[in-house]
Amino acid sequence: MQYKSQAVAKPYFIAAIGLFVGQILFGLVLGLQYVMGDFMFPEIPFNVARMVHTNLLIVWLLFGFMGAAYYLVPEEAERELQSPGLALLMFWVFLVAGALTILGYLLVPYSGLAELTRNELLPTMGREFLEQPTITKLGIVVVALAFLFNIGMTILKGRKTVVSLVLLIGLVGLAVFFLFSFYNPDNLVKDKYYWWWVVHLWVEGVWELILGSILAFVLIKTTGVDREVIEKWLYVIIAMTLITGIIGTGHHFYWIGAPEYWQWWGSIFSALEPIPFFMMTVFAFNMVNRRRRNHPNKAAILWALGTAVMAFLGAGVWGFLHTLSPVNYYTHGTQITAAHGHMAFYGAYVMIVLTMISYAMPMLRGREAANSNRSQVLEMWSFWLMTVSIVFITLFLTGAGILQVYLQRFSADPLPFMVVQDKIALFYWMREIAGLVFLIGLLTYVASFFVGAREPEATTAVAEKASA
Amino acid sequence: MSNDMKISSATPGDAQRVAAPNYPPGDLAIWIFILAELLVFAVFFAAYAFTRMNHVELFNEYQATLNRDAALINTLALLTSSYFVMRGVVAAREGNNAFCARWLWAAVAMGVVFVVVKSAEYAHHLGAGVSLSTNTFYMFYLSLTFFHFMHVILGMVILVAVAVKARGDGYSVEDHTGVETGASYWHMVDLLWLILFPLVYVMR
Amino acid sequence: MNGIEPTRQLIRPCTLVYAVLMLLTVVTWGIGRAGLSGLGVSLTVLAFAMLKGHLIGDWFMGLRGVRGIWRWVVVAWLLIPGGLISLAFFLSYRS
Repeated sequence: MQYKSQAVAKPYFIAAIGLFVGQILFGLVLGLQYVMGDFMFPEIPFNVARMVHTNLLIVWLLFGFMGAAYYLVPEEAERELQSPGLALLMFWVFLVAGALTILGYLLVPYSGLAELTRNELLPTMGREFLEQPTITKLGIVVVALAFLFNIGMTILKGRKTVVSLVLLIGLVGLAVFFLFSFYNPDNLVKDKYYWWWVVHLWVEGVWELILGSILAFVLIKTTGVDREVIEKWLYVIIAMTLITGIIGTGHHFYWIGAPEYWQWWGSIFSALEPIPFFMMTVFAFNMVNRRRRNHPNKAAILWALGTAVMAFLGAGVWGFLHTLSPVNYYTHGTQITAAHGHMAFYGAYVMIVLTMISYAMPMLRGREAANSNRSQVLEMWSFWLMTVSIVFITLFLTGAGILQVYLQRFSADPLPFMVVQDKIALFYWMREIAGLVFLIGLLTYVASFFVGAREPEATTAVAEKASA
Repeated sequence: MSNDMKISSATPGDAQRVAAPNYPPGDLAIWIFILAELLVFAVFFAAYAFTRMNHVELFNEYQATLNRDAALINTLALLTSSYFVMRGVVAAREGNNAFCARWLWAAVAMGVVFVVVKSAEYAHHLGAGVSLSTNTFYMFYLSLTFFHFMHVILGMVILVAVAVKARGDGYSVEDHTGVETGASYWHMVDLLWLILFPLVYVMR
Repeated sequence: MNGIEPTRQLIRPCTLVYAVLMLLTVVTWGIGRAGLSGLGVSLTVLAFAMLKGHLIGDWFMGLRGVRGIWRWVVVAWLLIPGGLISLAFFLSYRS
C-alpha cells in the first residue's frame, strides 16, 4: 500500500462482502419460493425476498466500486485522498441508510414503508431495482456527491491517468443517471424511459467504464505491461461500449409503446454490445501473456481473467441471445432474462469487485503483495465453485426459459403462466441446488480471508515452481 | 506475432517498398475500432437490403424522392477529401509538416461541403414532414445517413486535431503514426459512404 | 506502400486511382439519373462500389503494402455487406 489513505477502502470491501452473503441467502430463499410458493410466508413473501436480493446486490456492488475507487485513485493520482475522514463518514452513512432500508423492506409492508417515509411528497418508490424510499435515494445522492468530491479532487490535484479519468467518468455517469430515478411521470411509456435510463445506462453504459478502468488498473499492476498499451485498449473498449451501449438502450423500448424504429436501432446496436466485452477478453489474456513479471498474487490474476471471460459470456453472449427484437418478442420477461441477469451481473460486476478486493486486500491487511499460498489456494477454490455454479444456474434458467417460451408463447395452444411454472419446476430445483453450491463457494471465499493468515506470503519463486 | 519489419525482395519499380509490415498504417487500436464500425454498418446495410425485399415498391417509390445530385456532390467531396488526406500522409512521411497540414485542411474543407449539402437534404426532408416514423424506407434512409453523418463530424474533428498538430511541427519522418491513424479513420468514413451511396440512392 | 510512390513520375499512381474513383462515381450517378433499374444494373452498380472500396483500401488506406491478414481486411469486409446486399436483391427479383 503506497498511500495511507488507501486504507479507507477496507471497510467498504468488508461491508461489500457481508452484504454479498446476505444477497445470496435471500437468493436461496427466493429460489426455493419458485417451487415452494409459501416458504417463509408471511414473514418474507416472494416480492420482498426478490426486492432484498436485487437491492442488496446493487448496494454491495456500489460499496465495492467505492472501495475500489478509494484504493485505486490515490495510487493513480500519486497523492493521498482528499479527505479520508469524509470517506469513512460516508461509509457509515451509506451502511446505516442501507441497513435501515433493508430492515424497512423486511419489517414493514411496502405500502406502509411508503407512508412512513412520506413517499407522497416526492413519489419515487415502486420501480424495480429503484424501490428505495425517497429519503434513502436522497441519502444515496448525498453519499455519491461526497464520494465524487473526494475522488474528483484527488484526481484533479494529482497525476491524471487514463485509468483514473475513465473511472471518474464512469462514477460521475453513475451519479448523474441515478437522478432519473427521482422523476416518475404519469405517462407509463415515459415512466419506462426514465426507469431504463437509470437501469440500462448504468449496467450497459457507465458501469462498464468502471469495470474497464478497474480491470486495466489490476492488469497494469499485476502484469507490468506498459501503461500506454493498456490505456490504448481502454480507449477503444470504452468508445465501443458507449456507442453500442447508449443506442442499445433501444432494446428496452421494443414493447413499451415507443416508436417502431427502435426495433431496428435497438436490435442493431445492442447486437453489437458483445464486441466491447469480447475486446476486453482479448485484452486481458493478451496482457497476461505479455506480462513482464510474475505477480505473486495468482488469485487476483485468476479473478481478472475470469471477469473478462464471464462478462463476455454473461453480458455479451447471453445478452445477444435475446436482444434482437423478433427473438425478444417471445422471450421478454421470461426466465431467459433471469439467466442473462445472473451471469451478466456475476461475470461483469461481482467478479470485477472481487478482482479488486483480491488484489487490494492483502496490502490493506499489511501484506507486501499477496496472501499466503494456502489462502490463495482456498480463494481459487472459491472462484471455481462460484463461477461453475453460476454457469449452471444460468444454464438451468436458460433451459427453464426455453421451455417457458415454448409452452407459454410459442406452441400452437399456449398454456397459462402458472401451469407452465409447474412444468418447469425441475429446472428451478436444479437451479436451487446450484445456488447452494454457490453459497458454499462464497463461504469458502470468506474463509480464505482467515485461513493461512499467519503464514508467510506467497512469493513469485514459489508461485513459479507451483505452476511449472 | 512479431511486429518487426522484414526485408522483402523488392522489385525495381517498388524501390521504396523495402519493408512490408504486418500491420496497417496507423495505430492498431484505431483499426480494431474501424473493424467494429465497419461491422455495425455491414449489419445496417444488410438490414436495409433484406427489409427492402419485402417492401420493394415502397423503397423504389421513396428512393425517387431523394436528391441524387446532392449525393453525387457528396460522394465526390468525400473521395476528394480522402485523396487530400492521403497526400497529407505522403507529406508527413516526407517530413513536410506544413504541406501535411495544408492537405488536411483541404480535406476538412471537403468535409464541410459534405456536411452543408447533407444538412440541406435533411432540411428539405424534415421540412416536408418526413421523420423516422414516416415509413420504413425513410427510417432506414435517415438512420443510415445520420449515423454516417455523425461519423463525418467525428472524422473532421480528428482531422482538425491532426492538422493542428502538424501545423505545430508535431510529426516527423520517424514518427507520424498520428497522421496515419487519423487518415485511416477518415478513409473508413469514405468507404462507408461508397456503399451507402449506391445502395440508398441508386440501386432499385 | 500506401500508394505513395516516388514523385518523379508526372502523375502519381494514386492520382490515377483518384480519377478512376471519380469516374466510377459519375457513372453510378448517371445510371441513377437515367432511371435504369433491374438486377443486372443494381449488381453492376454494387460491383462499382465494391471496386471503389477496394481501391480506397489498397491505395488510400495503404493496405497494398501490408502483409498478412490485414492486407485483406477491407476486401473481406466489402464481401460481407456486398454479398448480403446481392443476395437480397437477387431474391427480391426472383420473387
